[in-house]
Amino acid sequence: MNQPTRLPTAVIADDEETMRDLLRSRLRDAWPELQIVGEAANGIEAVAQVNVLKPDIAFLDIRMPGLSGIDAARLLCGQCHVVMVTAYDHYAVQAFEQGAIDYLLKPADPVRLARTRERLTARIGEEPRNLERLLAALAQGGQGMQVGHAAAPAWLRWIQASVGNSVRMISTREILFFHAEDKFTRVQTEHSQALIRKTLRELEGELDPSEFWRIHRSTLVRVDAIAEVVRDHRGRQLVRLRYHDERLEVSRAYGHLFQQM
Amino acid sequence: MTTPTQANNGSGNPSLFREIATTSGELWWRFVDWVAVLSWPKLALLWLLAMMIGGMLGVPGFALIFVAVSLGTKVLAGGKRRADIAAQRAAERANVESLERRLAEAQLAALQAQIEPHFLFNTLALIGRKIETDQQEAARLHAHLIDYLRAAMPQMRESGGSTLGKQVEMSRAYLAIMQARMKTRLTVDIDVPYELYDLPFPSMMLQVLVENAIKHGLEPKVEGGRISVMARRVDDMLHVDVTDTGIGFSAYGGDGVGLHNLRERLKALFGNAAYLVIDAPAEGGARVSIRIPAREPAANAASS
Repeated sequence: MNQPTRLPTAVIADDEETMRDLLRSRLRDAWPELQIVGEAANGIEAVAQVNVLKPDIAFLDIRMPGLSGIDAARLLCGQCHVVMVTAYDHYAVQAFEQGAIDYLLKPADPVRLARTRERLTARIGEEPRNLERLLAALAQGGQGMQVGHAAAPAWLRWIQASVGNSVRMISTREILFFHAEDKFTRVQTEHSQALIRKTLRELEGELDPSEFWRIHRSTLVRVDAIAEVVRDHRGRQLVRLRYHDERLEVSRAYGHLFQQM
Repeated sequence: MTTPTQANNGSGNPSLFREIATTSGELWWRFVDWVAVLSWPKLALLWLLAMMIGGMLGVPGFALIFVAVSLGTKVLAGGKRRADIAAQRAAERANVESLERRLAEAQLAALQAQIEPHFLFNTLALIGRKIETDQQEAARLHAHLIDYLRAAMPQMRESGGSTLGKQVEMSRAYLAIMQARMKTRLTVDIDVPYELYDLPFPSMMLQVLVENAIKHGLEPKVEGGRISVMARRVDDMLHVDVTDTGIGFSAYGGDGVGLHNLRERLKALFGNAAYLVIDAPAEGGARVSIRIPAREPAANAASS
């Protein structure tokens, strides 16, 4: 097999300029023949640089804006060898060890760098390994990792209400109830209320049904906010709320919800 | 309970007279207290006993006087004494509840004040590199890191209560480090008037907002942006706002343990009087405002 006579090439990606500088400096010491042909400040740039410059190796910081190092690696690992770089990422490092993905800690220590150099030198000229499955698992499964894109959550967690020329974000955890009023829906929290355009029907479809119950044609209440359900002198059920004086009527159609209470 | 004023008899032995007066006074009030809380059945038994003794000693008159006086005392003073005792018990209960709330808040505060390993190790890597290339910068960042760690480690926090000033200085140190790391991707703007520095402000609340703004708002944004910390006194409330021009909130993103924890702490410390307001400004990004009652430094209600 023909040994390539050209010098090995690499691209470095890290959002912090000083860290790129640091890695460059360490590589110059440990692997003087390595030509660093490009630098990237985020995952998107990294992918672009690799596509254009076609280096042998890409050093990718795990946490980068735009596209994380992990996601960039997934896109690139067929094209070049990748080495992941991190200052600390306990979970990721474990995964790298198990999956035999090359990684470096920052700052890279000379002994580890020498070993990385040996490993990569042996592999340059070969087809880069397909790490897609490993990296995909990392991107999705990492609980403490905060990289890649969060899995699309099912339920609405924030209600947006116009206040002046900005939008008030009201966490669903703070909302006591929604009440249909005329053309709007009133959002009531402990401290304030707001009017939004979303209808109760839309909200019912978007909110976690275990968190919010429809108790009336006009009312959607957060279960945690219910202090107790009482009956008035006419026999109607009324919800008494915590932290708030209003009582909410439960229509007969929904009375079954509170049978066990 | 008041002691009767001492009569000043100008003649003979004034001090002895005073002694007798004081002691009798004390004995009288002890008698009143005792009778006031004595249950009726026990009192009736006492009367029976008094009558028997009076009869036996041949002084039934005194027994009758005793019954009359004790009856009068019980009727008049009993209600007041019971009310006093009930009030004292309620105060004790409130003290216990207040202590429990403060304990809960302290536990939440401890949970909140965790130093992020990512921040720590990235900063150490930065300082390590600067030692090789720019010693002055390395020293500056090193000093900031020490300031930040001192404020963040609960064991190392100074006693004396947390103030807005202390929290601002901690966030300032943190932001100076982030600015050195993110360079042109981060602009920092701190607008807190000095006269607000001494106002009590709970620890690690401003810092939570600042770290959220950096981690979730600005770091993930390719071009970065600006973070502003502003404090103002509005009527009798203290407003502390953290605004960023980052990627903003997603309507589907979780509340975050940090914000939820913060709300719980505010509730534990201030009940209904304090709250959070979260906005998505028209320009993009996010603005989170902590609003607490402005208390004067002397009456330090916020925990450290």
